[in-house]
Amino acid sequence: MDNQKTLLEAIDLSKVYGTTIRNKVLHDLNFSIAREEFTSIIGYSGSGKSTLLNILGALDQPTQGKIIFDGVDFGQMNEDALAVFRNENLGFIFQFHHLLPEFTALENVLIPTWIKEGRSHNKRLKRAKELLELVGLKEYMNNKATNLSGGQQQRVAIARALINEPAILLGDEPTGNLDSESTQQVYRLFREINANLKTTIIIVTHNDHIAAKSDRVIELSDGRISRDYSNKILSEDDAFSQVAPEYCKYCGKQRQTKSGYVL
Amino acid sequence: MMLFELKVALRFLREGRGQTVFILMGIAVGVAVQVFLNTLITGLQADLINQTVGSSPHVWIQGESEFDSETKLLEWESIMEIVGQREDIVAISPLVESNGFIVTTSEAVPVQIKGVKLEQADAIYKIINRLDVQTRELSGNQVLIGKGIADKYAIAREQSIRLSLPNGVVQNYTVAGIFDLGNEGSNATWVLLDLNQAQKIVGLGNRVSKIEMQIQEIFDAQEVDEDLEQRLANVEVGNWIDSNRSLLTALQSQSSSSIMIQVFVLLAITLGIASVLAVSVVQKSKQLGILKAMGTKNKHASRIFLLEGAILGFLGAILGAGLGIALVYGFLFGTSIDTGTPLFALTVEYKSLIVIIVIAIVASTLAAAIPARKTARLNAVEVIRNG
Repeated sequence: MDNQKTLLEAIDLSKVYGTTIRNKVLHDLNFSIAREEFTSIIGYSGSGKSTLLNILGALDQPTQGKIIFDGVDFGQMNEDALAVFRNENLGFIFQFHHLLPEFTALENVLIPTWIKEGRSHNKRLKRAKELLELVGLKEYMNNKATNLSGGQQQRVAIARALINEPAILLGDEPTGNLDSESTQQVYRLFREINANLKTTIIIVTHNDHIAAKSDRVIELSDGRISRDYSNKILSEDDAFSQVAPEYCKYCGKQRQTKSGYVL
Repeated sequence: MMLFELKVALRFLREGRGQTVFILMGIAVGVAVQVFLNTLITGLQADLINQTVGSSPHVWIQGESEFDSETKLLEWESIMEIVGQREDIVAISPLVESNGFIVTTSEAVPVQIKGVKLEQADAIYKIINRLDVQTRELSGNQVLIGKGIADKYAIAREQSIRLSLPNGVVQNYTVAGIFDLGNEGSNATWVLLDLNQAQKIVGLGNRVSKIEMQIQEIFDAQEVDEDLEQRLANVEVGNWIDSNRSLLTALQSQSSSSIMIQVFVLLAITLGIASVLAVSVVQKSKQLGILKAMGTKNKHASRIFLLEGAILGFLGAILGAGLGIALVYGFLFGTSIDTGTPLFALTVEYKSLIVIIVIAIVASTLAAAIPARKTARLNAVEVIRNG
């Protein structure tokens, strides 16, 4: 992939937890993420998905290897610089919503702008309202975060992740706590954002349907990439059979993977 | 970046209402105790000192002791001129002193004979307003006596009394008035007469026994004493501080015990704030983690708690100051129910009030430093991972 298209690159990425009892969670990962790509990271619990996402999001540091984001090496930045970087370039969405219960939906959306600018600006207010409209929650903007349903909270969190117009949106099981209807809503939202705002999206998910609908799937097992393939030219059925062949309803027989798409 | 942290700090405080009110009450009670105690001790001491030196000389000059106990001054008028050069001397009065007796038909009453110029002596002893008659001057044959003597020996105004002195002089005088200086000792023993007359009967010629003074700042007395000692030859100078050592020591230890109490109250407040905020950091760790994930720098995250401490300190101190002032007025009212006037005068000194408030705010902010440091160290990943 050429540099124009590459947004993010992981080089020999390893992560070890603990010092006395060493637990290696990620093993020498190498991959890159293209701009505007919608990638799902899948894998069993404990396969290192969340750890990888946290490292990609500059929240956690790798034990070895490095992350190059748009030509910038995270390893060269101090904590404050990373904080500023997260604020301006990354949007986070977490499984447990993590809105601040002390603030209203609108205020929660605005918080990243406050962090960035130190205070609130009117033009940000307008944008925040637009984003809340985008996630379909304009009527609820003055509700305290605690007065929203799980799905609503997650959509507020998505609006919040978008307010600073990040280059990349990172979701750690963003639909993990939601019912299937909310999950569908959130997925459609991701797709709209991906298409309209040209935002690169990486989500860690257990949801096979979501994974099947993303452009690319990276499957981790025991801290190694076991599969990495693109769904782009596959039909939805084909894609689904890739992700979860054991549950595939429509694929009577296992299709041979087209060469070139399994990387 | 301050506004954002302030916004979050205020919101955390507002949303944690119960806790905020609780801690504010703690600070307010502590500050109120400080304000009240401070005012009470200051008022009490001012009252005691005023009673001690308000109507008595602060510094005095007498002749150097000779072999006999009688000490005399020469050239008192020129001494007064030298002394008068000091601008901080607010009252100065020459005095002729002698022991003596009032001789009645049945007994001889021991008294202290004091020859003064009434208006000058009044500046120190505040006599004129405490006389039962209006007069500003004494003529040669007039005396003023204390209420104690008058009551005990049934001597009335206009009555004639006979004074007898150790040197054998016996002289009759008319009682021109009776004074009540509010002091048992003076009321029971003092007989005031004109300076010149006293010089004559005591046999001092144109000399006096003492020159007494009041100065502007009573605690400068020792310094004034030393200065006069240097300016004047062959005299002894005394001051109220050296002759009231034990009173001053008592006042000083009272002050230090009051400061001790205040320090411990402050310590209790500080520990209280520190522990409540420490709990609050744990309670808010999820929020802090998310704020950090969204790009809040460590130092800004910890500033939220420093601000919480400062805000709590400020509000608590203002509240406490109000409560303290209310306590002071309550005390004044309470002690005046029986007599109509308070036990002693209390005034809230705004200078010390501000000092107390500032100290409370600083202490509260410092108390927040520990939780703030904890906040800076809080790891966003751990918070997010654990939900």
